[in-house]
Amino acid sequence: MTAMVKAENVHKSFGNVEVLKGIDLEVAPREVFCLIGPSGSGKSTFLRCINHLEKITGGRLSVDGDLVGYREKNGKLYELKDSEVALKRRDIGMVFQRFNLFPHMTALENVMEAPVQVKGESKAVARERAQRLLDRVGLADKAGNYPSQLSGGQQQRVAIARALAMEPKLMLFDEPTSALDPELVGDVLDVMRGLAEDGMTMIVVTHEMGFAREVGDSLVFMDEGVVVESGHPRDVLTNPQHERTQSFLSKVL
Amino acid sequence: MTVDVNKTDGPGGARGGGPEVIKAIPVRHPLRYVSALIALGLLVAIVYAFAQSDKINWATIPDYFFNERILDGVVETMKLTVLAMLIGVVLGIVLAVMRLSKNPVTSGIAWFYIWFFRGTPVLVQLFVWFNLGLVFEYINLGPFYKDQWSDFMTPMLTALLGLGLNEAAYMAEICRAGLLSVDEGQTEAAHALGMSHSKTLRRIVIPQSMRVIVPPTGNEVINMLKTTSLVSAVQYLDLFRVTQQIGERSTATVEMYFLAAAWYLVMTSILSVGQYYVERFYAKGSTRTLPPTPMQRLKAAVIPSRNLSGGLR
Repeated sequence: MTAMVKAENVHKSFGNVEVLKGIDLEVAPREVFCLIGPSGSGKSTFLRCINHLEKITGGRLSVDGDLVGYREKNGKLYELKDSEVALKRRDIGMVFQRFNLFPHMTALENVMEAPVQVKGESKAVARERAQRLLDRVGLADKAGNYPSQLSGGQQQRVAIARALAMEPKLMLFDEPTSALDPELVGDVLDVMRGLAEDGMTMIVVTHEMGFAREVGDSLVFMDEGVVVESGHPRDVLTNPQHERTQSFLSKVL
Repeated sequence: MTVDVNKTDGPGGARGGGPEVIKAIPVRHPLRYVSALIALGLLVAIVYAFAQSDKINWATIPDYFFNERILDGVVETMKLTVLAMLIGVVLGIVLAVMRLSKNPVTSGIAWFYIWFFRGTPVLVQLFVWFNLGLVFEYINLGPFYKDQWSDFMTPMLTALLGLGLNEAAYMAEICRAGLLSVDEGQTEAAHALGMSHSKTLRRIVIPQSMRVIVPPTGNEVINMLKTTSLVSAVQYLDLFRVTQQIGERSTATVEMYFLAAAWYLVMTSILSVGQYYVERFYAKGSTRTLPPTPMQRLKAAVIPSRNLSGGLR
């Protein structure tokens, strides 16, 4: 079985600052893959490289067997056109720390937008699916509300529904609960747990160690642009081998 | 909405058995009366100065107000405002996108355009367009169009080019500010969903930037309406030119200027009302509840409906 995401010696620099210094990892289909680490460790940057919101500067990164952002032909790499990149992104859902819902559209319109505008789906079909997805994240009664009329937790669940509307094969979560009040975190995690049970491949950058332990299939601890330690969440979290991991976990647990 | 109610008979009021309400003599402000009197006095003096003058024949203003030629002038002024603004807005958006593009040549050209057209007076630009016939004898667009320059550059076209191209420079800056005001996360979210650049711009960024773009654009429309009076200098028969002509041929020169001013005031007032509603439309989603329109507020005050107004119980 091909890996859903495969990274080989991935490097990323912003100007002179090297943020990723050679990342190697593999995410299997149906796996829930958690990325943890201190801020500035490059975990969010790595996540954004997967759907080409950031361009990698070295190494190889592929999703479902296809290189991200490039095409390989006769041993040479060709940059993909914007339209080709957009086509690949359809299959990768992303959920942001700050939700990034479209404020001028209702919850329902937010979820309908991409299927109608990107896939050219009919409004009736898109609306029906959007309603089903909003129901799934527990917000069927908020379909007509604008994002400003929703709580942070509700907004984030709409954002998950919006990403799911494109029926992606991979979901990226960039600290989905970090901007939420503690009492609202649970609802979002419940939705994510449900997704994991349905077999969605998920890469989750998170500080929720409880979620990682319960739901995660594998976990990677990153620091200063490198993978320090990886393994099954229970092993890494309860019995960290590396000193850097131990000191990080002692602060957050 | 219920704040007013709470102030008088809320739980903290005297009725609830709380402390006795203070009855004190308020501070007097004698200077307020003096300044109000002075201001009123000056106003009366100015009005009187105009009213007592027997050289101003006030009756001519209502006589001519709906004169056919004046009405034609009003229509011309409105037409010019709409068309020049249309050129300004469309070209302005194009220039704003050009200025924000990564291509240094396009952004450089947009920068130069704005620098030039914002840096020279619109009256000078109008005269340049008007007199370009001294430079070009013919206009020759190959097989499409060929004519004498003087036949081609009508007063209408001069006015539209002069006003529209100048306006585009201002609109470009307004649009650029609007586009930049939209959070980058919005573009990222749209891209992550697989939307193209142009679709992201059209569906996500531009609608949100309207909230920033509309208020200053309303200002520009009102400004444009008044600036159109400059085209009288290039032989265009707008409201101002018509009133001028009538004024010169009759003896009612000043009266006709008053009349023009009154018409401009009527038109700008109507535009201000329109601006209010357009702004309200684009505020959609940015505030939790839209503020009531003046009409709704009036209704709420006149008809004490049970569910509409919380303040009238």
